[in-house]
Amino acid sequence: MFKKMIAAAGAKSPWIYHINTGSCNGCDIELVAVLTPRYDAERFGFKLAGTPRHADIVVVSGPVTSQSKERLIRTLEQVPEPKVVVTLGSCPKSGNVFKGSYSIECPVDKYTHVDVSIAGCTPKPEAIIEGLYTAAQILKEKRREMK
Amino acid sequence: MSSFFQIIENIVKAMIFPGLLYATAGGLLLAGLDRKIIARMQRRVGPPVLQPTYDFLKLCGKETIVPHVANKPVFLAAPFVGYVSLVVMMLLIPIGGYSAFSGKADLIVILYLLTIPAVAMIVGGSASGSPFAGIGISREMVTMMAYELPLIIVFLSVAKLVGGDSMNFSLQDITAWQEQNGPVIFSLSMIPAAIAMLLIIPAEVGMQPFDVAEAETEICEGPLVEYSGFPLGMFKLGTAVRIFVMTSLFTSLFLGGITSGIHIGWTVCGVYVGDLLVRGLIHFAICAVITLLCMTFIHAITARLKIEHLFKFYWTVVAGLSLISLILVWIGV
Repeated sequence: MFKKMIAAAGAKSPWIYHINTGSCNGCDIELVAVLTPRYDAERFGFKLAGTPRHADIVVVSGPVTSQSKERLIRTLEQVPEPKVVVTLGSCPKSGNVFKGSYSIECPVDKYTHVDVSIAGCTPKPEAIIEGLYTAAQILKEKRREMK
Repeated sequence: MSSFFQIIENIVKAMIFPGLLYATAGGLLLAGLDRKIIARMQRRVGPPVLQPTYDFLKLCGKETIVPHVANKPVFLAAPFVGYVSLVVMMLLIPIGGYSAFSGKADLIVILYLLTIPAVAMIVGGSASGSPFAGIGISREMVTMMAYELPLIIVFLSVAKLVGGDSMNFSLQDITAWQEQNGPVIFSLSMIPAAIAMLLIIPAEVGMQPFDVAEAETEICEGPLVEYSGFPLGMFKLGTAVRIFVMTSLFTSLFLGGITSGIHIGWTVCGVYVGDLLVRGLIHFAICAVITLLCMTFIHAITARLKIEHLFKFYWTVVAGLSLISLILVWIGV
């Protein structure tokens, strides 16, 4: 029973850690807009954590520049299990307008397993909320599988 | 046979009421109410009242990572030490005129116990070996020094008022005195001390304008930066219980004896369960109102102070208010 309660609570209190890998700041602003009173993601229990150790959901934005690749991998390693990786915007998925650049090492799924991918340049706050909500459900499933 | 019942009674006191279970449930509910009402004040829906409970349960299910530079036993033991000292404090505070264990100098014991959660955070943070934690620790120590002086003066003035010629540090006696003479807050000389105590509570708990030590947006929750999983959950639980303990302390020091007239006959094993239930609920309601007054409203309308401003504020304004009370009580107003 206790295990069921923990798994259920996983979907109700997902803490977000946001890492910017050379994003243009557009997606970052939209993510913060989701947490403001207008969209109020806190009603689902979302909270922006300051450190990867407290995180459940890692939100990656930006096209993974060569400089930030090492940092991205190291940050993802520091997040305790179960964790869910979400890519925000088109850049981490396809490179977007930066595709073909010598300093870009996208997509993110070369380095880690991506659970949810929110597309758009920039995605609408509604889309971000839906993506994060899906991520929270995946988190619950992952917790259930963990023994 | 009677000693056997005594042991059972003591276990019930420590584990259920007013110990572990009551303190934890009350603390989590108060923390949830705080978050919900802040959300309503900002015109948003806000998290459910049970959100801190969900947070704790989720953290129970997370992996616990111990950094390789950390001192493992100290790192893992610190949250539990802080939490246990808070629960022990709850046993000493009278709830509706009833305290589990009482002694001659409860207030002094409470004064010592109050420092333990903060010290546990300092020790745990320094064991983690993170530079963010280092900054958090130094700020936590300064905060502790800042609120401790006015808190001691508040305790002294209440003890002097109740004791008359000498000082009376027993919380049981303070409650008994208030049952006869009315709550302490209604005597004119104690109003500055009550205001000072209301300003001390948010610093002790680490709430918004005074949360310099755990500044989330600035130093990533300071001492908690390397914690994850269950130990982090224990720290969060400790913060929630600390809200309840501090508001309970305010209730018993300044608003004691309000529930003394309530009697509902309903006894189990010679204990007035009906009384306890009603008084426990009323006590919780009063604590919720105090949480609103001194934490939620201030949190919703202020931004974080700098550490030097915090120190100055506590050693001038708050200490001044509590000193006025002490002097007035000494003169006998």
